[in-house]
Amino acid sequence: MNKRKIAFTLGIVCIILTVAICVQINTIKNANSTVSKGFSEDNLRDEVLKWKEKYDRILNDLDVAEKNLTKIREESTKDDTTSSETEEQIKLNNNLLGTTNLEGPGVEIVIEDDPNPIGVLEDVSDHIVHDADLRAIVNALKNAGAEAISINGQRLVNTTSITCIGNVVKINNEKITSPFTIKAIGYPESLVAVNMNGSYIDDLRDWGIQVSIKKLNKVEIPKYTGVISAQYMK
Amino acid sequence: MNKTVLSIIIGFVCIILVCTIFMQFRVVEETDITGIETAREEELQTMLSDYKTKYEEMEEKLTDTEHKIQEYQEKIDSNEQASELLEEELAQTNLLLGKTDVTGEGIIITLTNNDEKSITSSDLRYLINELKLAGAEAISINDNRILNMTEIVDVEPYILVNEDRIVSPYVVKVIGNQTYLSSALSLKNSGFIDSYTNTGKTVEMKQEKNISIKAYNGRKNLLQLRYAKEVNE
Repeated sequence: MNKRKIAFTLGIVCIILTVAICVQINTIKNANSTVSKGFSEDNLRDEVLKWKEKYDRILNDLDVAEKNLTKIREESTKDDTTSSETEEQIKLNNNLLGTTNLEGPGVEIVIEDDPNPIGVLEDVSDHIVHDADLRAIVNALKNAGAEAISINGQRLVNTTSITCIGNVVKINNEKITSPFTIKAIGYPESLVAVNMNGSYIDDLRDWGIQVSIKKLNKVEIPKYTGVISAQYMK
Repeated sequence: MNKTVLSIIIGFVCIILVCTIFMQFRVVEETDITGIETAREEELQTMLSDYKTKYEEMEEKLTDTEHKIQEYQEKIDSNEQASELLEEELAQTNLLLGKTDVTGEGIIITLTNNDEKSITSSDLRYLINELKLAGAEAISINDNRILNMTEIVDVEPYILVNEDRIVSPYVVKVIGNQTYLSSALSLKNSGFIDSYTNTGKTVEMKQEKNISIKAYNGRKNLLQLRYAKEVNE
């Protein structure tokens, strides 16, 4: 009886051990497939670089083509005042849409996460710059009469949204991170007022967020490199 | 004797099994590191598809631009007026800017002040941002067209849009892909409608096949540039 009990217990232990081993082997089989991906990852990296180069090249080509279009448009209207007016209007429309590089007087705002965010019982999240902060500042600049705005080189256009995924802010589907440089063209005295006492920007300083703002005689704002299209509206 | 041999054998087997398990555990621990590698690979995968999409978009834009250049060139070569081409380009840019009345499918969201909660400008700004993310092509609030440089600010008890005062109910008309727009807003809990209704605000949405949105006619001078100039190098 006693012998049987021992044999029984041992048998069960053996079964458990065998099952455990089988489970482990399965896990490793899966893991092995990721090890072999090491090679494909290098290939992938090359592939990404290749497409980035292709993309940069086509951006350049497009730049040249757009300049040629502007030139030829001017040429085709040089003897005709009505057409020249239309041509000027197209240029203005493109400037307003954000498909051209602009320059003019304005402000540059640099805002950066709190460099020493950890205090006792504090939430780190209160000390970093969020998408909502950027939206609020942009809205204040629009209210102050901004004519064109960019954040970290991303031109704000009609279809632009400012969102976040985790700690990364996304503008025009591009990821950007702190420090954020917001450039705006407009009347500098009016734009700089977004920084007055009690303003949204001023309140950010209470959370340790670093904010600087300066008036500039010349601010350069790059064009939007995506596509603005109308598929649903007529 | 027989019993002892048996228990020795069983004991031995057990030891081997335990050793095997420890070895396996160690391998599994190592594979956790390659787990991070897989995540990076996924990131690379997204980057790759992003670049491909962006490249294709630019390729299309380039073909389009080159086509336009060719059309202008033909007009010049044959000494014809290019007015038709110009009008076409003007009409397209006017459409995209918001200078024309437009119609199309989309959604209408109505936000209303109730006894406890009032709608603020930040609610509307948040909504507009969500709508743009979901691919909105044209938006108006109480028939004020939202342009690129439109501000939405509180001036109690009003909300100011394009320097015009508006009051509740706020009717937000949107043209774009109906399905994208409505499903983006009606995500359970985290979507705009749920999250605002949960805080006690009154928000309603309906889908429409045919929405009309008026051209920009605000008092704010958003269609001229006083300070910005195109860079010509």
